[in-house]
Amino acid sequence: MSMRAALLGAVAALGIAPAAFAERGTDGEVKLTFPQAVSIMNPYLSGGTKDIYASSMVLEPLAGLDPDGNLITKLAAEIPTRENGGISEDLTSITWKLQPDLKWSDGTPVTADDAVFTWEYCTHPEGGCAQATKYEGVAKVEAVDPSTIKVTFSGPKPNPYTAFVGALSPVLQKAQFAACIGAAAPTCTDQNNMPIGTGPFKVTGFTVNDTVTMAMNENYRDPAKPAFASAVIKGGGDAEGSARAVMETGEFDYAWNTQIPPDSQAAMTAAGKGQFVVAFGTLVERLEMNLTDPSADLPEGERSTAKHPHPILSDIKVRTALSKAIDRSILVEVGYGAGGKPTCNVIPSPDAWASDNSGCIAQDMEGAKALLDEAGWTDSDGDGIRDKDGKKLSILYQTTVNPIRQDFQALIKDWWTELGVEVELKAIDPGVFFGGDAGSPDTFQKFYADVEMYANNSDNPDPETYLGQYQCKNAPSPENQWQGENINRFCDPAYDELHAKLTQTTDVAERQAIAKQLNDMVTKDSMTVIPLVHRGTLSAHSNTLGGVAINSWDTEMWNVADWFRVK
Amino acid sequence: MLTFTLRRLLLAIPTLLVISLVIFLLVDLAPGSPMSEIPLTVPPDVRQKMIEALGADQPVFVRYFLWLRQFFWVEPAYAFDSWFGTTLAEGEQRILSWQSRSPVFTIIGQRLPQTLIVIGTAYLVGILIALPIGIYSAYRQYSLFDQGGTLFAMIGFSVPTFFSGTLFIIIFAVWLGWFPTKYDTQLEVVDWATFWEQIRQMALPVMTLGLANAAAISRYMRSSMLDNMTMDYVRTARAKGMSERTVVLKHVLRNSLIPVVTVIALGIPSIFGGAIITENLFGVNGIGAALIGAIHASDLPMVQTLAFIFAVLIVLFNLIADILYGLLDPRIRYD
Amino acid sequence: MLDAQPTPLVQVQDLKMHFPIYTGLFRKHTGDVKAVDGVSFDILAGQTLGLVGESGCGKSTVGRAMLRLYEPTAGRVVIDGDDVATLAPEALRKKRPTMQMVFQDPQASLNPRMTLAEIVSEPLDEHTNWTRDQKLERVYELMDQVGLNRRFVNRFPHEFSGGQRQRIGIARALALKPRFIVCDEPIAALDVSIQAQVVNLLEDLQEKLGLTYLFISHDLSMVRHLAQRVAVMYLGRIAELSPSKDLYARPLHPYAEALLSAVNEPDPVLAAQRKRIILKGDVPSPANPPKGCNFCTRCPRVMDICRTVKPDLLEVEPGRLVACHLYTAAGSTGASEANERNQQGENQ
Repeated sequence: MSMRAALLGAVAALGIAPAAFAERGTDGEVKLTFPQAVSIMNPYLSGGTKDIYASSMVLEPLAGLDPDGNLITKLAAEIPTRENGGISEDLTSITWKLQPDLKWSDGTPVTADDAVFTWEYCTHPEGGCAQATKYEGVAKVEAVDPSTIKVTFSGPKPNPYTAFVGALSPVLQKAQFAACIGAAAPTCTDQNNMPIGTGPFKVTGFTVNDTVTMAMNENYRDPAKPAFASAVIKGGGDAEGSARAVMETGEFDYAWNTQIPPDSQAAMTAAGKGQFVVAFGTLVERLEMNLTDPSADLPEGERSTAKHPHPILSDIKVRTALSKAIDRSILVEVGYGAGGKPTCNVIPSPDAWASDNSGCIAQDMEGAKALLDEAGWTDSDGDGIRDKDGKKLSILYQTTVNPIRQDFQALIKDWWTELGVEVELKAIDPGVFFGGDAGSPDTFQKFYADVEMYANNSDNPDPETYLGQYQCKNAPSPENQWQGENINRFCDPAYDELHAKLTQTTDVAERQAIAKQLNDMVTKDSMTVIPLVHRGTLSAHSNTLGGVAINSWDTEMWNVADWFRVK
Repeated sequence: MLTFTLRRLLLAIPTLLVISLVIFLLVDLAPGSPMSEIPLTVPPDVRQKMIEALGADQPVFVRYFLWLRQFFWVEPAYAFDSWFGTTLAEGEQRILSWQSRSPVFTIIGQRLPQTLIVIGTAYLVGILIALPIGIYSAYRQYSLFDQGGTLFAMIGFSVPTFFSGTLFIIIFAVWLGWFPTKYDTQLEVVDWATFWEQIRQMALPVMTLGLANAAAISRYMRSSMLDNMTMDYVRTARAKGMSERTVVLKHVLRNSLIPVVTVIALGIPSIFGGAIITENLFGVNGIGAALIGAIHASDLPMVQTLAFIFAVLIVLFNLIADILYGLLDPRIRYD
Repeated sequence: MLDAQPTPLVQVQDLKMHFPIYTGLFRKHTGDVKAVDGVSFDILAGQTLGLVGESGCGKSTVGRAMLRLYEPTAGRVVIDGDDVATLAPEALRKKRPTMQMVFQDPQASLNPRMTLAEIVSEPLDEHTNWTRDQKLERVYELMDQVGLNRRFVNRFPHEFSGGQRQRIGIARALALKPRFIVCDEPIAALDVSIQAQVVNLLEDLQEKLGLTYLFISHDLSMVRHLAQRVAVMYLGRIAELSPSKDLYARPLHPYAEALLSAVNEPDPVLAAQRKRIILKGDVPSPANPPKGCNFCTRCPRVMDICRTVKPDLLEVEPGRLVACHLYTAAGSTGASEANERNQQGENQ
């Protein structure tokens, strides 16, 4: 299937832009700029998107994902399915076949042993592998023959496309990394900075947190690609500067992550040198409702735990009212422009997985007020703040220090104040908020506030893992050192049961139906998560750079081999 | 002078040790975690494993003594090895950045050149602009030139570099298209064309920083000149019938330069420290950008090492300033 | 000295030195500090004129304005035939060798970063084209003249004592063989024991080199010792200009009288008999001097006319010039009284 698709694609592309596909290395240099500089070229030692994107030009997995979330082959000859026998009937193993005659950039052949080594590398207990989840449930990876890799799971795995799929899980060269396994992993500076890969480019120079220089890989499997003879990724600065370097001064061809205010977007587009492209993945800016009591009066260790339900937010009517009072379109307009759209879902895409849920889009202030009245929250003393049983409707609303988030805080505070809710705002340094330090009271996991705002996403179009966050057992608590992804402390046995069913289901349509149901359970049914904005990744590319197809399911450089200079 | 220098250097050792401990504790106590830049999609147990792999879960004093050992023994030994081909540091762990897993000193080595070239040039340009302005402003106090110099200094002082830098980018890069906005650290000067390229890419950051530097130094120069201008020995020089040029340039200027040279010497560590905002803005990616990046990522070994090197440089340049003062001003003797 | 009538080497006529005052936001010129307000005197070649007065009376300003260290507001300063006050800059620079100055603070007036040799020979660099050796020879010669050990030639000013520094200052002034030297309180900053040495040195040099001095000081006894004639200044004007012995014996101007009454009298008998005149009030601001006589606000013998008319400096006795209405026709009634009193004072 993939061969045919690739051939068809090539034929189609030839028809469109014959000049572009002339020959390997005829288009000079492609220059990319990232607002965050690249720290390391080994994605197994870094979770940073910048590092993963940069390394994806060099290191490749067996299969990747296209902009629509479909699997495409990279090193694999074809995508294994149950139909073609690549996946065992009992869903406990998947067998990949390598394309013939694959070579590393140093000219040595790629073999199944490299994949086996990669699995050993990332699952070594002392290695600190950042992508360990990719190999979760993998019991064994073995080389059946030099070009066949068999991944065996410890149980049935309905979604077996985790290990060696996507830019987070590329194949490392065993010869290069053999000495870097386990505790030695971080000390292999040369290997981590200049890994030998199979991608269209190879690293020729690396300065930490600054610049990566690359040259075309002579041994790349497609003899006609890449069109560019060399590539450079310059890091540093900010989104505005990166965008400017592409859109206004034309110094660079491609800028990743150019999230700038909507008015700046318009001004830069007007310069006519480039264009913004946006990829919508699953990143959703949301308000998380704390279902437990964060009160400082409670003893330490009991704050924000399941022991004490939240005195105000436990009432679904209050949560619903808070959601109804928000005008998401204004938030998008103010904060993201083309880079965002209003959403009511935790899983906003791909379309097949997204619930048809748009009930929250229209602001309904009156409805919100009515709900609060109904819930017994009325302004009995006439001070503009609702109260009930002598208790004020007062909310502490926290997020990270970030200009857009502070704008959002201000807007939402206005709406909630109109509703008769007293809002106290708090902004925390992102390093602390996301730092996960169990000793700090300000982490998002501890959630010593009533409402908090941040963005989260699923790194896979299949949201099984992502939806697993909201299981009871994943609530952060002192027992697990406040580690856990169920930030709201949402706990519904029905949800856990349904999620368990998802992990057993293999039929894709059925999986999608369950995912939508789970999505609805945490959003419109319970108003535990109040999604605000479906955020895209805004990138910019020069008008002279052709072939760009922005992809939110895999690296944005997924098809860098196809990029060319528009002449 | 020699005994003075030696005594000061000896005294600096305990001072620096205390400073290193204080920095270490401060950096360690600062909120944040090396995992804060890792996406939320990485689950907690994986994060925990990564922290363990970094050694970041060790008690603070274990890490401090390890750092001390690495800084004062392993790194010098490693440098020695690479120069003389010995094997002193064989098997020893160098100081590794948590963020990039690269040796901290390799990163510093990569970044120091552009910091020194760009920030150093900006400092030099700043001085070269500042001195004549300061001298002439003082010589013609309250003249139009002096008022202009005051205005210039006020602008340089009060306009933050992120503003002036962005302004320069918009004017000189976007509108006029004269200079690039991103500094290419990989550019090697091999001929006139690349030299010209280097000048062009340095222009904007040097302008931005030079303005700020010149502002401060021109004020020092001016006030020092004014102090000396009214001194009796200047009157003596005039009474001797010396030309005005000799009076100003030889008598007034040479004496006025003493405190200014000290101020300039004390400012030199800041060249090594880089310029966080300017470096970031123009992608110079020198030491300043490394420091701020490391702070954001809670990259403790990097922050600690850089902060400690700055401390050493500050102590060193304080000493150099004192020695310079002694050399320049015959009235000062340290013995 | 009495027989021949030598021509004056220095003639000062109606010298004025006003410093403008700027005030307000736009630094408007709102007035002047009249530090020197019409001063005239002559100094004969080879003689010393003492210039005395309290601090702030403008005596140092006179010295500086005479040598064009300030730009005089008005007046003529003829030194050795040239009007220094109006010389063009280049001509003035050429003229500088003839007129030099010894400053009050020997520490501050020597460039701290230059050695003795550099300080003394710098004027030679500027005004001669001698070789290094010639200049060094001259430096040694000057050091001998002022009594400095030749070994000190490469030392910096801070390595010397106050008296030695003042000797350097003198050597420096002598380097170009000047004819006229303004000594601006040259001993004020020195220990008493050193003062006499420096004064003696100045006297010796005057004798040897035929120098003409303007000796500015607030130390009246030292001036008496050095000067042939003495001018007493008050608030930018000369109150009395008399031969030294006459002035000290019998001051005419009430201010001179008050000033001299404060001088320590070496003779204990006379000292016991002396009556000190204590002046009341403060010196008025030179920015806003009284309308009539400058001294009228504090004068113990003030008359109505003093408050309206400025008295001119007139020769009231041979060789004695006084600016006081007691001695003018308008105030003649008081004059006899003054004489009487002085005479009484002498007779007692």
